[in-house]
Amino acid sequence: MLTLAFDTATPRSSCALLRDGDLLGERETKAAAVLAAADALLAGAGQVAADLDRIVCGVGPGSFTGIRIGLAVARGLALAIDLPVAGVSTLAALQEGAPGSLPVIDGSRKEVFTLTGGEPAVIRPEDLKPAPGTLCVGSGAVRYRAVLEAAGADVPPDSSELHLVRARFHAGLAGEFGPAELVEPLYLRIPDAEKALER
Amino acid sequence: MKTRWSCGERTPPGKPGAKGEGGADVILAIETSCDETAAALIDGEGRLRANVVSSQAELHARFGGVVPEVASRRHLELIVPVISEALDEAGVTFDQLDSVAVTQGPGLIGALLVGLSAAKAIAWSRGLPLIPVDHLLGHVSALYLDPVRLEPPFLCLLTSGGHTLLLDVQEHTSFRLLGTTLDDAAGEAFDKGARLLGLGYPGGAALDRLAQGGDASAYSFPIARLDGLDFSFSGLKTALLYEVRGLEHGELERRRADLAASYQHAIVRALVERTLQAAEKIGARQIAVAGGVAANSELREAFSSAALAPIELCTDNAAMIASAARYLKPIQPPGYLDLDAYASRQLA
Ligand SMILES: [Zn+2]
Repeated sequence: MLTLAFDTATPRSSCALLRDGDLLGERETKAAAVLAAADALLAGAGQVAADLDRIVCGVGPGSFTGIRIGLAVARGLALAIDLPVAGVSTLAALQEGAPGSLPVIDGSRKEVFTLTGGEPAVIRPEDLKPAPGTLCVGSGAVRYRAVLEAAGADVPPDSSELHLVRARFHAGLAGEFGPAELVEPLYLRIPDAEKALER
Repeated sequence: MKTRWSCGERTPPGKPGAKGEGGADVILAIETSCDETAAALIDGEGRLRANVVSSQAELHARFGGVVPEVASRRHLELIVPVISEALDEAGVTFDQLDSVAVTQGPGLIGALLVGLSAAKAIAWSRGLPLIPVDHLLGHVSALYLDPVRLEPPFLCLLTSGGHTLLLDVQEHTSFRLLGTTLDDAAGEAFDKGARLLGLGYPGGAALDRLAQGGDASAYSFPIARLDGLDFSFSGLKTALLYEVRGLEHGELERRRADLAASYQHAIVRALVERTLQAAEKIGARQIAVAGGVAANSELREAFSSAALAPIELCTDNAAMIASAARYLKPIQPPGYLDLDAYASRQLA
């Protein structure tokens, strides 16, 4: 069972190739070049795209454009070579890489994407209020280190691997595989224009 | 300063990039640069086998214009259904494809990236080459399709909601910019005029219909006459604004058709004048008109002796991208895997 996993929701995107749960390789990439990473990983394993059995795609939250690049790639692959796809939350994968941690992704606009009560949410870092001693990881934890540490949270050094979204964790978290169109983006924000109309 | 601007590698003029064994090249083309999600199939003889366009116009109407984030989200929802429909309509399977073409820019970057990402995934997974296409070259290439089947050289007026360009087209794969708008595009002028007349968005077609029952000589709107071959439409829009504001309460309804007709007439006259000047300047024997505004009835009448892009191929579509792709050199895998989209392109 050859699985291609990728997550393009964050600027440091990730792509991994696994066989029966064993990691064959993983690469960091830019979102728009995720297929170049996939191609290199497959070549390293002596395989081609047509050999893939299934796809795991990060669905966000993160950069809207990044999320869409990942899902458009997943849907294109699924359509052309008839593969099942599973979607995995970028927050869940980030947390999986640092067990027991609270994942915090920079959401720009002075907000972060994180889990509150186990559910994905977008909030201001000041409102996050992690329990003292909570390990906070991710681009949002790095950016708002001062706020989080002031609240008593622990944030690993900026250069720590724990802050990076790694696609190998998506593969482990993948639940049910099915049609690509059922795998939906997790934006957490409606477009500004819609918000303006609601007012 | 005018610069020669080329779209990718060139094949000999007049000869579509042909496959070795002389077999017909079947190209799947994808276009998502603005608010139309589109896919088309073309065969080696340049015959369209499918041309599917899913317009988001209604979705954006309530915002009074295209909202990039809303457009990009919709493209992701529509991209696979639209491609599937095009393949079904053409009766073509992935096994029968020879290459995949896609709009790389210019356009809304988030929107372009949906189409480009899907196109790369399809091409790469099937081991096919990719043909990135410039959207503007695509509009021009609509003229190479049936029933027009135009061949360069010609002078092309490319007029749409985003562009108003005069192009010297000497070969299929490139053009030279002669003139452009310094402010609004002609299509924008139509949409803004329509909004002032209470016709909603997008209002270009509604303004055209309304104008047909009006007197084009009722109002005299100014035409900007700039040095060189450039256009300007912002003064026209302001002039309409003042006319509308100057009307007594309740009078707009009565004068709307005349205002629409006079306003449209001014835009068309500006486009025709400049195009004829350009033709004279470069000694063009053939004039062609493409782009969304080329669907306007008065413009088509004014340019009745020119080559006009078919109405269904004026607004954004993937058929024109497929047409352009026939003349461009495909990029073999994995050469296109890190390709990015571009929002704008410096033309001159
Ligand atoms: Zn266009």
